[in-house]
Amino acid sequence: MTSTLLQALVSGLAIGGVYALIALSFSITFTTTNSLNFGQGEFVGIGAFLGVTVLYVIATTAGEAISFSSLPPSTSNGLTYPVAAVVVTLLFGVLGILLFVLAVRPFAGKTGMNWVMSTIGFGIILQSIGLAIWGPAPVNLPSPLGDDVIRIAGTGVRPQEILILVVALALMAGLDLLMHRTRVGKGMRAVAANPQAAALMGIDVSSMMIGAFALSAALAGLAGLLAAPIASASLFLGLGIALKAFSGAIVGGLDNPRGCILGGFMLGLLESGVALWNAQWREIVIFVLIILVLAVKPNGLFGAQSLDKV
Amino acid sequence: MNNFSKARRRFLRGAVAIGATAPFVDMVRPSWAADDIKVGFNGDLSASPSAQSGRAAIVGIQAALDDLNAKGGVLGRKLTLVVRDDLSQPPKSIHNMSELIDNERVVAVFGPTNSGNALAWKHIPNRKKIPVVGCLASATDITKPTSPSADNYMFRVGSVDRFQVVALTTYARKNPTTKVIGFLTETTGYGQAGLKDLEEVAEAQGIRPAASGKFGVADTDMTSQLSKLRDAGVDTVLIWAQGTPTGQLLRSMDKIGYFPTILTSWAALNLSFVNTAGPVLAEKPIFLQTVSEDRTPHQQAFFDRMLPKLDNASSFAFAVHAYDAAQLVAIAIAQAGSTEGSGLREALENPKKPYEGIAKTYHPSFTRERHEALGPADQKWTCWRGGKLAAYTDAVVASLKPEDFKG
Repeated sequence: MTSTLLQALVSGLAIGGVYALIALSFSITFTTTNSLNFGQGEFVGIGAFLGVTVLYVIATTAGEAISFSSLPPSTSNGLTYPVAAVVVTLLFGVLGILLFVLAVRPFAGKTGMNWVMSTIGFGIILQSIGLAIWGPAPVNLPSPLGDDVIRIAGTGVRPQEILILVVALALMAGLDLLMHRTRVGKGMRAVAANPQAAALMGIDVSSMMIGAFALSAALAGLAGLLAAPIASASLFLGLGIALKAFSGAIVGGLDNPRGCILGGFMLGLLESGVALWNAQWREIVIFVLIILVLAVKPNGLFGAQSLDKV
Repeated sequence: MNNFSKARRRFLRGAVAIGATAPFVDMVRPSWAADDIKVGFNGDLSASPSAQSGRAAIVGIQAALDDLNAKGGVLGRKLTLVVRDDLSQPPKSIHNMSELIDNERVVAVFGPTNSGNALAWKHIPNRKKIPVVGCLASATDITKPTSPSADNYMFRVGSVDRFQVVALTTYARKNPTTKVIGFLTETTGYGQAGLKDLEEVAEAQGIRPAASGKFGVADTDMTSQLSKLRDAGVDTVLIWAQGTPTGQLLRSMDKIGYFPTILTSWAALNLSFVNTAGPVLAEKPIFLQTVSEDRTPHQQAFFDRMLPKLDNASSFAFAVHAYDAAQLVAIAIAQAGSTEGSGLREALENPKKPYEGIAKTYHPSFTRERHEALGPADQKWTCWRGGKLAAYTDAVVASLKPEDFKG
């Protein structure tokens, strides 16, 4: 029984790491621009395929004859996977800037929610381009650390799951430091608190917003590359993950990055916990709990308490 | 009526006629001639992992039409195939069905790839009296008539979930090492229908599962559900799910080091199963298919002909079903002497002569009551060995007799 619970805990943390990473990416744009990328799920799927493509190009350039749909484990060996991660992160940073310039900035500061439709549209365009390039079939992406199960006290975990958890925690800690200890981070927080006042203080509000979207998109692309060795790279991979991550962010408090991370992990743990009892009830239990939490704490468990006086 | 009115009516009639024909004046002549007999395919060819079986069916149907046309066609007319991809989506599949029947005027339809889509539109061919011969989707209810006495236009040359479940449950019941049975099914329509079959057949065979679990089609970690089965002492698990989630289930088994006897649906034939599970874990389950890997010379010759056109060798059975289905439709057209739907249905239900097909000799292929061309006896035990499909046998399989199969 102990090993069963421990297994559920490990599995919940592993999937929670992916949720937390994407929940954080939602929070980054929300706190700086008051808007979100509703195409984040599509970004995750494209990130996975871009990673596969980079690994494929590296392997074929080195003279290996391999199939794109099923990359052999050797393609992720050595420095190739980290190189793919850097390429995906950088390209997604650029994509995030494009998203901001084309789909968010035209509507910034205006009333209405046009940015909701434009970010959804941007995601759908991206996915359609992805379908035209790679097709709809899922593709295998080997883990750089191999696929052998590591057993600790009767509990099994795959190296890729540990890698996700470590990378996610490291990125979260790094971003936390960035936000609280650096000038850039303080500038971003100032823009989030009050863009007009931040502009008057000499902070380049536009650059901060562009930076936030670049960072958010880069995290989504990287999350896709990290999740692909477990779930297979698929253009439809991200939609379910992004929905859960968004739920985690809402529960944790969209305006609190640390709360979003906790929300993501909580959702992962809750999922694997409910599956111990009855997997078919998982979605029902999770979303009923989310509704209950929001009824009691509308800004999420760790969200800022706001009070509007009229 | 005065002359002005007559002239006006003539003018209007002429204008309508010109208007109606104008769009077709410059139209390129279609690849089929007006007197060709058109048959349709409606199924997934590109969207889901099962699309590879849809593509295999097209290859099989086209091979049959080529063979028939080489001999002069049927009723002196050539046969042509009209293909529609339903992208695995029920609304698209329903639209395709109406379009094939009403616009393309096909005389029979093959497909679809996904069971849910067949169940979504089976009322259309039944209402319009156009026979459908399934060669891919396996849900038990697809070929059931809409009411007990109604004329039924849904036929199938392919695997049937119920027959697989009966055979797998019989294996579990006859296996001396099986003490405690559990079920694991995915939460899609495919999994739910499979669970219904599993529960009904288990009851008919006097088996009570000790535990039953479910999982989502996109889940990547089923360790919680598996732990529950392990804690209940389950030593034999019957799985009903598509290829990818079955692969994920095996990976989760690997994580907790729990490997009961695994009996699963023919979705394990799909390459997506091996790609997800990996070649080593893929060797664990036993499942059934309709064309044995120990091929007859006739089947081997057809295999050699089809292989260059298939995505992979594991989708060969679908090409076989499709080839035989197309040949049976052609035989029915010849026997009926026309392509009219109800006559075609009657000819399919009352074949005058046996047909020596690729999967087997059909004698008879269908009857009014039985719209399944392949029966429980046509199930072949299968597994994966070294990344390739292989015939499976053991002492239990060798001991199974037809009277053992109940439900």
